[in-house]
Amino acid sequence: MTKIGTTHWLLHDLKNRGITAWLLSGILTAFYLVLYFTEWLTPLAQGIGLDSKWTLYGLLYTVAVTLGGLWVIRKYRHNRYQVVRTSVVILIQATFAFSIPHLLKFLHQPEYYFSYLWPLKMDYLTPSYIFALPLPFIVYSFLGSALLVPIMAALFGKRWYCSWVCGCGGLANTFGEPWRHLSDKSSTSWRIEKITIYTVLGTSLLLTAMLFISWGAGKSNPELARFTTGFQSFYGLIVSSMLAGVVGVGLYPLGGTRLWCRFFCPMAALLGLVQKFGRYRITVKQNMCISCGMCSKYCEMGIDVRSYAQAGESFTRASCVGCGLCAEVCPRGVLRLENRSSRDPQEAILVQIQGVSASRPLI
Amino acid sequence: MHYVIIGNGVAGITAAFTLRERDRHARITVISGESDYFISRTALMYAYMDRMNLRDLEPFERKAYDKQKIDRVRGWVRDLNADQRQIRLEDGRKIIYDRLLLAVGSAPNRFQWPGLNAAKDGVVHFVSLQHLAECEGLTPSTKRAVVVGGGLIGVELVECLVHHGVEVDFLVRESWYWPMALAKEEGELIANHIRRHGVKLHIEHEVNAVRADASGRVVSVSTNKGLDLPCQMLGICIGVRPAVDWLKPVTTPPEINRGIKVNQSFQTTLPDVFSAGDCAEFVRPDGSPLVEQIWYAAKRQGELAARAMLGDAVDYKPSLFYNSAKFFDIEYTTVGDVTRLPDDATSFLHRLPGDAVSIRVIERNGSVIGFNMLGSRWDHTWFERWIHERRSMEDVMQQLHLAQFDVEFGRVRLDGVRAAFAEYLKTGSRRAA
Ligand SMILES: Cc1cc2nc3c(=O)[nH]c(=O)nc-3n(C[C@H](O)[C@H](O)[C@H](O)COP(=O)(O)OP(=O)(O)OC[C@H]3O[C@@H](n4cnc5c(N)ncnc54)[C@H](O)[C@@H]3O)c2cc1C
Ligand code: SF4
Repeated sequence: MTKIGTTHWLLHDLKNRGITAWLLSGILTAFYLVLYFTEWLTPLAQGIGLDSKWTLYGLLYTVAVTLGGLWVIRKYRHNRYQVVRTSVVILIQATFAFSIPHLLKFLHQPEYYFSYLWPLKMDYLTPSYIFALPLPFIVYSFLGSALLVPIMAALFGKRWYCSWVCGCGGLANTFGEPWRHLSDKSSTSWRIEKITIYTVLGTSLLLTAMLFISWGAGKSNPELARFTTGFQSFYGLIVSSMLAGVVGVGLYPLGGTRLWCRFFCPMAALLGLVQKFGRYRITVKQNMCISCGMCSKYCEMGIDVRSYAQAGESFTRASCVGCGLCAEVCPRGVLRLENRSSRDPQEAILVQIQGVSASRPLI
Repeated sequence: MHYVIIGNGVAGITAAFTLRERDRHARITVISGESDYFISRTALMYAYMDRMNLRDLEPFERKAYDKQKIDRVRGWVRDLNADQRQIRLEDGRKIIYDRLLLAVGSAPNRFQWPGLNAAKDGVVHFVSLQHLAECEGLTPSTKRAVVVGGGLIGVELVECLVHHGVEVDFLVRESWYWPMALAKEEGELIANHIRRHGVKLHIEHEVNAVRADASGRVVSVSTNKGLDLPCQMLGICIGVRPAVDWLKPVTTPPEINRGIKVNQSFQTTLPDVFSAGDCAEFVRPDGSPLVEQIWYAAKRQGELAARAMLGDAVDYKPSLFYNSAKFFDIEYTTVGDVTRLPDDATSFLHRLPGDAVSIRVIERNGSVIGFNMLGSRWDHTWFERWIHERRSMEDVMQQLHLAQFDVEFGRVRLDGVRAAFAEYLKTGSRRAA
């Protein structure tokens, strides 16, 4: 039941799809529409001495991540994983995703975001864009996407990126913390997620391939070049602006914080595929789960963690971003995030002891 | 074949799914008076504290029951006629069964303190969804509450009330908190923690009498030590007992002692009637009765009882005792024997400075028999293994890190514990526990 008092009513309402949540969602959505599709914010940005509306956006974003992050650190101060992870998120946002690009610009270098990689940032493997940059940036772009991303994901799971580095995840895990429980846990939404996220991934791969082809053969084939440019702006509008910004953040108070990450992000899709075959997993302590459901409730990716925990099954889900909140909220300490190449010996023990198949799923 | 299960708690539902897994065609009906769908009783407190919705308490998606063709019937069963293989619900509906499972769980204990009967309003338990609704209904008009009973459900109810800003007096009859499961040191550690949350914990206090106002709402509770505690809510959490009262007057009652008496194959004294979970009473090898009232036992019993109903030869042996809980912020894991120990048992206890973290390992005749851990996370399966393998305490202390289950970067450092253990060995301070 909700706590008594106006403040508590307001907080509950805001966190549980009440009228104020709709209001806030409207404001956030409007903000993104204005940001992406008008120049109304430009004079405001220039008024406070910033060069563009994007710098203003970056500043606001960094403030939101920092303040939200400090609050999250306080809330979970007893949990070292959360403290370390959130500190890194704030740090990366403040440096790689904000001050360093602007510093680079100040030094007459390209405004480059080292914390963003293809295919989240399509530009960084768009030949016409990337080959115009100085060599180190080109090398970083290619090696980042081709080596850093898969190797780190194989070793640590997608969390190394999605919940430690990425700005989208960063905002979700800091400013978005009050709405993490709103993600839909049904098996239907899981089915939808698999369709949408791999569709976007497929589209982004196709687009990249076409960008390369048209970069190589575009001169002799203006038809192809025109089509590719159209495809590129279509992708930019639908995926980067609408899905990542307007839907991704605008709907925080209604659909939870990771709508973009869960249903659309091509980077998350790619990392998730590597994660499935990598070392990362969530280890479930045998026969200790009381099926309370706190883990599922607070999973921002809508994973029904309880269904694995109560069946005693350690698991790796492609969508898991490794935020570690399931382990934090579990009142019985059943869950642990691990990077391990070998199966844990504990999984065999109970079977021996009790003669009961411990890891058989209940359904 | 028609399998009928009374009770949709963890025992009943686990049985239903196990039956379905093995028998694709049988009819399976689960009956409950409490709820349409299986809910996790253990999460009632999170619903009360607004961390979850009622719907979140359901461990399975609703469509799972249809997919598995498990029929659900809502209602209280009032009669059982084993001669006609028939049960009757409160509303008169009759259901014929081929095999019946009684998985009716627990009901809260109540003690007839003077004045309690006159208190029609404000007296609560905390075991079922209906109790949750009552508590929620009373909370807005409650400034102070008294909770009686120093066990797990008591402290959960206290935590919920504190969350809602209610001032709580918490009465514990024993000389420290929860001596059933905690030694004195740990009991005091938890007691201090509870007090730090603003709860007035009264050790060695019992209820003397309950007073209500003209409308029947409880207004105060007096204790044996002369305290008179004003309150608008009285939570009675003095343990649970098998919910068997309804079974006593039925046409053909099974044999009942504390719980429904069953053999190691979950069979009651009635033909084709089985029982599992909180309500089932086994006989230990030494002849003493055994009623296990925890989630893990109920789940395992539900699975095994289903197998017995399917005709498998089942010989239920309770597993080594283990449990876990959380007292406000302090997590707790226990395995084996930790209280009511024989005189020749010795115990090593170490409290880490600062945090409310403590580690206790108990040994008897050169092998470990119990673990009691507060404030850090442990994988109990290692403890079970060490107890089964009769490891020595030295051995276990050396390998203790294997069982650690703390979050990444948050692993409790064991050097201090090991140093203290070396000291303990050296000074030969293996005192009786
Ligand atoms: C607040 C609380 C917290 C707990 N926390 C823990 C914990 O942390 N760890 C732990 O191990 N254990 C815990 N327990 C104990 C645990 O919940 C029980 O051991 C477990 O739920 C027992 O399951 P069961 O299936 O045997 O019975 P129950 O879950 O009690 O289910 C029995 C069902 O049968 C129904 N029923 C009874 N009689 C009839 C009838 N005549 N007709 C129709 N339906 C009927 C009841 O309404 C009920 O729905 C807790 C209990 C409570 C109350
Ligand atoms: S939070 Fe922990 S105990 Fe609760 S359902 Fe999840 S794993 Fe099980």
